[in-house]
Amino acid sequence: MSSRPKVVPLRPRVDAGGAAPASAAEAARKDGLLVAIARAVEAGRHGITWENVAALWSAAYFSWHSEEVDEFGRDAKFTETIRPLLEFLYTMWWRVEPAGVENVPAEGPALVVANHSGVLPWDGVMITLALRHEHPARRECRMLALDMFALLPFLAPALARTGAVRASQENGERLLRAGELVGVFPEGVKGVGKRYRDRYRLARFGRGGFVRLALRTSAPIVPCAVVGAEEIHPVLAKADWVGRPLGLPYFPITPSFPLLGPLGVVPLPTKWSIDFADPIATADYGPAGADDPILVNRLSEQVRSIIQRMIDGRLARRRSVWFG
Amino acid sequence: MGRIALTGTASFLGGRLLRRLAETKGAARLLVVDVAAPPAALDVRHRAVDLTEPAADQRLLDVFREEEVEEVLHFAFYSGPRRDAAHAHELESIGTLAVLAAAAAAGVGRVVLRSFTAVYGARGQNPAFLTEDRPLQPNPALAWVRDKLEAEQHAASFARRYPDLKIVVLRFAPLLGPRVHTFYTRILDRRVVPVLMGYDPLVQMLHPDDALAAAEAAVDRSVAGAFNVVPSRPIPLLTALHLAGKIPVPVPHPVAYPAADLMWATGVGEAPGGFCDYVRFPFVADGERARRDLGFAPRYASRDALMAYLGYRHPHARLDAAEAPA
Repeated sequence: MSSRPKVVPLRPRVDAGGAAPASAAEAARKDGLLVAIARAVEAGRHGITWENVAALWSAAYFSWHSEEVDEFGRDAKFTETIRPLLEFLYTMWWRVEPAGVENVPAEGPALVVANHSGVLPWDGVMITLALRHEHPARRECRMLALDMFALLPFLAPALARTGAVRASQENGERLLRAGELVGVFPEGVKGVGKRYRDRYRLARFGRGGFVRLALRTSAPIVPCAVVGAEEIHPVLAKADWVGRPLGLPYFPITPSFPLLGPLGVVPLPTKWSIDFADPIATADYGPAGADDPILVNRLSEQVRSIIQRMIDGRLARRRSVWFG
Repeated sequence: MGRIALTGTASFLGGRLLRRLAETKGAARLLVVDVAAPPAALDVRHRAVDLTEPAADQRLLDVFREEEVEEVLHFAFYSGPRRDAAHAHELESIGTLAVLAAAAAAGVGRVVLRSFTAVYGARGQNPAFLTEDRPLQPNPALAWVRDKLEAEQHAASFARRYPDLKIVVLRFAPLLGPRVHTFYTRILDRRVVPVLMGYDPLVQMLHPDDALAAAEAAVDRSVAGAFNVVPSRPIPLLTALHLAGKIPVPVPHPVAYPAADLMWATGVGEAPGGFCDYVRFPFVADGERARRDLGFAPRYASRDALMAYLGYRHPHARLDAAEAPA
């Protein structure tokens, strides 16, 4: 009995020339946690050691995180892990209806500019999904996240792992120069924390930082209108006196939050549409255009009015918030 | 050709640089300016100067003139926090001032200054890659980084006032690898490692071989200005800890800062609370400028540096077993 081996011999995780890569990756992910649990059970029979606890912990962690991330912290395995939830939200919960996805260039840098709303950055996630699933080139859109999201505990690492990057000129420029598709919300915090009565009225577009970004990198601007997101968390009032001590820029009061506690973060199942307009070329102005405040403001206003027009068109055709 | 003077040769990086230069440039070209004598086997000249004494600049000036020094490699910095903060301040801030003043007065051509990417300060607002022209805004409450910042400010002011004095500032990412022993490797050697709840920044860990290669590349090269010396890829902090088989214990950040300060003050902790910034927010620097102007390309990623360190600390452990679920 005492000669029982301490470590259970296990079959190799990935067969040498086995199943298709996609399912092998799937198997590796599932196997990782099962193997870890088997190890923990086995360890329990011989007395729990630090090594076993650490190995279980590590296996549990790497069952849904990859060991390598890209230079901005995007984690392919983590994205894969939460994909079912996001796809459920996309297809069943919000029944997102994208239109004009082909207006996004199939390759090279481009800047998708959208209206922001919904308290939590769900609109960014859904734009990413729309482009990943519906665009012919399966483009991966890197969203530039507001400072407040990039600073909040728990949300910040999760956003980084799914490919979002903190919004700044440096980060945006680096991504665009690398030929990536980048998404921005120029309304910023004024948009995402918008009250219910202000829904679908675009807030000021910052100071035109996104236009300067596009001009400097000669990336075309693709205006994008998200309809439906502005009703998922109807903000009735904002309690800044609660939010400020917690380090939040606003503390929303919705019909369900904070009344229902954690249930209050469940968004309402509205019907969404995401429209992409024709791209606006910026290459003709040259990088020097970024230093021309009049040009920057004109382009910024042009993008704003296109988005507002798309929103108004959708709203006029929409018969129901829930069914479209 | 004039001599190359080295300070801080008792430090890890300074000591390794001394050995490497003794091989490549020849021991005759080197001069050690330090309180501690270099290893006798190296057979390099040694002039004992204490950078913390009041007349250090005059003494350095004499040494630089007598030995015909043309380049100073200033590596006398502490990699970890010191309880005798006043001494660290004298050595790092005032000592650097003395070295720069003596170098300028003696007509030394070039000064290479060892610095840290930590001088940028870890902030939530930092871009994903800090470039050298980013303003330095570290946590002012942290004496360790304040001294480094002051040394850099002295260097910037001398570079302005003495255009003939070429000052190279090398901002090294935190070192991790074989034979590296610092306050954070002492934390990493524990089974349970405290982390800040809800934060998981990307961190950079520089392999000592890369650090040495960059320092060597800066010697005898006509460049000036600041250069980040960083590994090829950053790694998320939690990923690094799990790869090392550690058990991270999340501590809420409002508690962590005062708790770390308290433990530091009572002598139990490894570092004061200001260091919590560096596991909370990113301070990842961009190595493009060093690649372009110094011709330095890192051979190791942060993950490689971590693995090299673990292999060195636990030579008999089967690391692949600990990190099994790949």
